[in-house]
Amino acid sequence: MSEYKKPLPEIQPYSQRFWDGTREHKLLVQHCNACDTNIFYPRRDCPECWSQDLGWIEASGRATVYTYSVTYEGVEEKFVEDLPIILAWIDLPEGIRMHTNLVECEPEDVQIGMEVEVVFRPITDDITLPFFRPV
Amino acid sequence: MTKPGLAVVGIAEVPTRRDPERTRWNILLDVCMGAINDAGIDKNLIGAVISNNPMAQPSMQNDMSLGKIPEVMGLKGCRDIAICNAGGASTTNCLRLAEQHIASGQVDFVLIPHTTVQSDMPPQDLINFFATAPLDKQFEYPYGVSFNGSMGLITQRYMYETGATEEELASVTVALRAWGALDPLSIFYGKTVSLEDVMNSRMISTPLKAKECNLLADGGGAMVVTSWEKAKEFGDKAVYKLGHGTRFMSATPMLREDVFHRQSYRESSQDALAQAGLSIHDMDLRQIYGAYPYTQCSALEGYGVCEDGHGAKLWAEGRCGPGGDLPCTTMGDATGRGHTGSGVSMAFYLDTIRQLRGEAGERQVSNCEHAILTTSGGSVMNTCTSVFGRAPR
Repeated sequence: MSEYKKPLPEIQPYSQRFWDGTREHKLLVQHCNACDTNIFYPRRDCPECWSQDLGWIEASGRATVYTYSVTYEGVEEKFVEDLPIILAWIDLPEGIRMHTNLVECEPEDVQIGMEVEVVFRPITDDITLPFFRPV
Repeated sequence: MTKPGLAVVGIAEVPTRRDPERTRWNILLDVCMGAINDAGIDKNLIGAVISNNPMAQPSMQNDMSLGKIPEVMGLKGCRDIAICNAGGASTTNCLRLAEQHIASGQVDFVLIPHTTVQSDMPPQDLINFFATAPLDKQFEYPYGVSFNGSMGLITQRYMYETGATEEELASVTVALRAWGALDPLSIFYGKTVSLEDVMNSRMISTPLKAKECNLLADGGGAMVVTSWEKAKEFGDKAVYKLGHGTRFMSATPMLREDVFHRQSYRESSQDALAQAGLSIHDMDLRQIYGAYPYTQCSALEGYGVCEDGHGAKLWAEGRCGPGGDLPCTTMGDATGRGHTGSGVSMAFYLDTIRQLRGEAGERQVSNCEHAILTTSGGSVMNTCTSVFGRAPR
């Protein structure tokens, strides 16, 4: 696992809990206890009310494809072995939109509006990336 | 008494090319001297140099930030220097800062230069730059997104919501390349493409094909700007900035509620037109810097040229390209001109000034009195819309 050559997420102190969560196979969404907003991506302060009283809720792991794009070329060398890569923006019922890859499906099977669910794939001992696959 | 305002009185540009023999400093000196000579003023009348940040070129950025231009050129009247970085919208901010200098009455003429050489950089480094600088390094970059991929995501959704077809969007590139083919400053001068050429080009990031993605190139340009009052002495050479509006959306594409920037185009253009005292229907030319075909459509919708979702049809009907009744983006955008980093916006302003001066050659829009122009920076984080005209109002 130490041979992972692709870029790792640049984790910040206030997003550490998100990545601890994915390692535990939980998709956590930052939540403002002061104004009840779900926040993505994680911040130090709530972007709505600037409260620092921030916690985490566990998302259901289900989502809907808002849009997608299948990349066939034009990526850095370290990603070439993964081509084609299915990029997607997915909408969570918790009210946030994430960027991800769709996995365990063929490019021609992907449609806007399709239901997907989270699948956790460890890429190093410390980092597990959340991907999504068709339900 | 003329209202305070900004006018462009001198311009120069080098052709967009890939040619590492043409150095950054040679391009820079050629365009700076060219713009001052075009204005016909003494070099020592330049009171400030406000540079467009040369992205991904740290050594040149240091030179331009830290005062080398007035020193090397012997601009003895230069009182101030600055650099503006807003990615693709850098030139817009140079103009706005220059406007403040001129309004202060302490500076009469400001030189605004740009230079970029990308042909000497490894392609992998450039892919990396465009995948990291304007995108999120924690939640986007680890998923193998490129800049093309990011724009492919938006284009796919645009097609889904509007019903625009791949052929209609491909017609945007056909028209942009048709403008570029008529422009000696384009890397595609003399090189048109057909709808089949675009549709049959390699798939990069669906639905974007190779000919719809940008060719990174080298280029440079410069402007000399002054006050409306002083510009009167320059006759037909002067082109007047009549209004401006900007809207910011988001740094990270996935967080953008206004996904196609339509509302942002709408509000920024309404601000600019209101300041100019003109309507969108008074515009003889629409110049849209979005670098990807969907922006050429959603901008027309936001401007109010057509209903939401109908932008691609205007291009497919041939109305926006050469010979059309709604000429748009005669500069060719990055797609039809070559992408010179932060310099695309410079080339957009220069082309708009040429059109308003009647110096656009085979691409000349007839009776071009007023033009609207939008630039954007980063991953289309903002829309910066200006109205220019042949006369002050």
